[in-house]
Amino acid sequence: MAGSVIVITSGKGGVGKTTTSANIGTALAHMGNKVVLIDTDIGLRNLDLLLGLENRIVYTIVDVVEERCKLKQALVKDKKNPNLCLLAAAQTRDKSAIDAEQLKNICEQLKKDYDYVLVDCPAGIEQGFQNAVAGANEAIVVTTPEMSAIRDADRIIGLLESKEGVEKYRLLVNRVRPKLIKSNDMMGVDDVVEILSCDLIGVIPEDTNIITSTNKGEPVVNDEKSLAGQAYLNVARRIMGEDVPLLDIDEPTTFIDKIRKFFAKKVQG
Amino acid sequence: MYDNEYFVVDMSSCSSTGEIINSLSLALETLNHSGKKIVLKLNDGNLNQSQMLSIQSLITSYGCLLDTIETINPETASVAENMNILVQKPIEKRVEDKSFIQSDNSGFEKFAMNPTGENNDIIALKDVNGLHFEADLDAIKKQQDEINISADLKNAGINPKEDFNKIEQQVISQYKKPEEVINTIDEFSGINNLKTDLTNKTSVALEEIEDYTNVEKNSIGVYKKAYDENEIDSDDWEEIDFYETPTTDPVISDSKNTTYINQTLRSGQILESDGNVVIIGDCHPGSEIRAIGDITVWGVLSGIAHAGYKGNKNAKVRALKMNAVQLRIANCYSRRPDGTNIPYIIRSSIFTPEEARVVDNEIMLFKINQN
Repeated sequence: MAGSVIVITSGKGGVGKTTTSANIGTALAHMGNKVVLIDTDIGLRNLDLLLGLENRIVYTIVDVVEERCKLKQALVKDKKNPNLCLLAAAQTRDKSAIDAEQLKNICEQLKKDYDYVLVDCPAGIEQGFQNAVAGANEAIVVTTPEMSAIRDADRIIGLLESKEGVEKYRLLVNRVRPKLIKSNDMMGVDDVVEILSCDLIGVIPEDTNIITSTNKGEPVVNDEKSLAGQAYLNVARRIMGEDVPLLDIDEPTTFIDKIRKFFAKKVQG
Repeated sequence: MYDNEYFVVDMSSCSSTGEIINSLSLALETLNHSGKKIVLKLNDGNLNQSQMLSIQSLITSYGCLLDTIETINPETASVAENMNILVQKPIEKRVEDKSFIQSDNSGFEKFAMNPTGENNDIIALKDVNGLHFEADLDAIKKQQDEINISADLKNAGINPKEDFNKIEQQVISQYKKPEEVINTIDEFSGINNLKTDLTNKTSVALEEIEDYTNVEKNSIGVYKKAYDENEIDSDDWEEIDFYETPTTDPVISDSKNTTYINQTLRSGQILESDGNVVIIGDCHPGSEIRAIGDITVWGVLSGIAHAGYKGNKNAKVRALKMNAVQLRIANCYSRRPDGTNIPYIIRSSIFTPEEARVVDNEIMLFKINQN
């Protein structure tokens, strides 16, 4: 059975495409799938950094396209999980170094050997986006509960609908802060889904662990205590077809509040 | 080919007997190789018996013995054989005609490990001559000029202290005009033919090398500090399949040009040089330096550095602070140990100058001044 090619895109920059790719990829590999991550952000690559594989890259996707090496040579194995591979982008070139047809070919080849091919898309809707979407048959649209990100996501969904080959697309709402939603300072997840009228694949809460994990080069799903990590694991399960209820991201906040109150009382007393 | 008791003198660039005697006397005097057996390399010029005798007597007067003559001229060969001197056909042909002295075998050892055998010696010879004897050659030529001038002055009956103008004219006349130089070069068209011959041969040899390296696979290991007692944990050698970079010329970096750059190299920038590279500034992660020769960074090296990327394993990488994502020398690749990325803030405060070299096909870091 051929694997599926999933593109992770957003339109707007900084909403967490790369973090999502790294975490979902790692989570899927943890569950025993063979996963390959493709970084298509040529010239501004970051995925290798999040996975901590920066120092292992010898060949990049541009080398594969320009036939300086074979595809298998360019795949960098993960430090911990042998099921996970990375096809890195070149840092010293730009988006025009590859075209859509070439990336499609690479996806077709990888599909045969891997269960999931995750394509990390660059921001924008130009050449880089066109390349990344070319080989995909599924898409995850990442957005945050902000008007600008939602507008860009809407544009992306429009482009995906007009693309042949992308069979389904689902929405991932990232960096959600339940406290702000409660106080009506942030748009709720339901509102976002309603505006975009799109299936939801997951909700990821804002988590400071993401920052430290990025600096360490270790995806947050490896950290069992992290709430965002748990949320990403759930997303991975949903990708595999399991029916997992949405994580209750409210509870721990209130729990922390309880502790705060407890300490506050103590100090007062 | 010859061992240490032999002293090989290459006279194939000399056109006349006078020139041979002049250069030979200088060579014997300057390099002080008395008591050795002399191997004389000649071009295809014809030498008669009296000329050969005068050469032999000159060599004997310096306490040496004329043992072998290498020539392709049959008449010179027969004259030499009559005088009980060994005659050999030249085995290796000259690439550089400017250097006329080729001494002991130190050059051969370096390239003995080359896999393709004979043809590499030709390249080695070229490099060795170009490298070690350029300085000597200049000194010798200078001396030669001085001696010639003083002899000519004597002949002309000039006392240097009396007439400076005449001396000046005499000196100027010693240097040939450009046209004359070109004419003399034309006389050596035979040597030029040899040159083209050689380049053809070399290219064949290089193709062989490329085929050889394309089959060879490699893996990427961690670069280690030679002076560090704590061993790095054992995910050292890791199997990333990649083919070695195709090696072409084994180049010695000392004889190459140096690119000098006074700015910070940023992510995504590549610096490629067909010589050595000196950078005054940092090299940020994501940048890449490739040089045929050495790489020296007066700052923090955090990008990828590839020294001797056309197959020179003697190339070195030096930096005030070594934090390179990957170090590559010739076809040896190594990566930074995991988790040693130095945070941005403390980077510039403490410097530990280090030099990366290849030891047993592994890249090792040495403190500068440490052997």
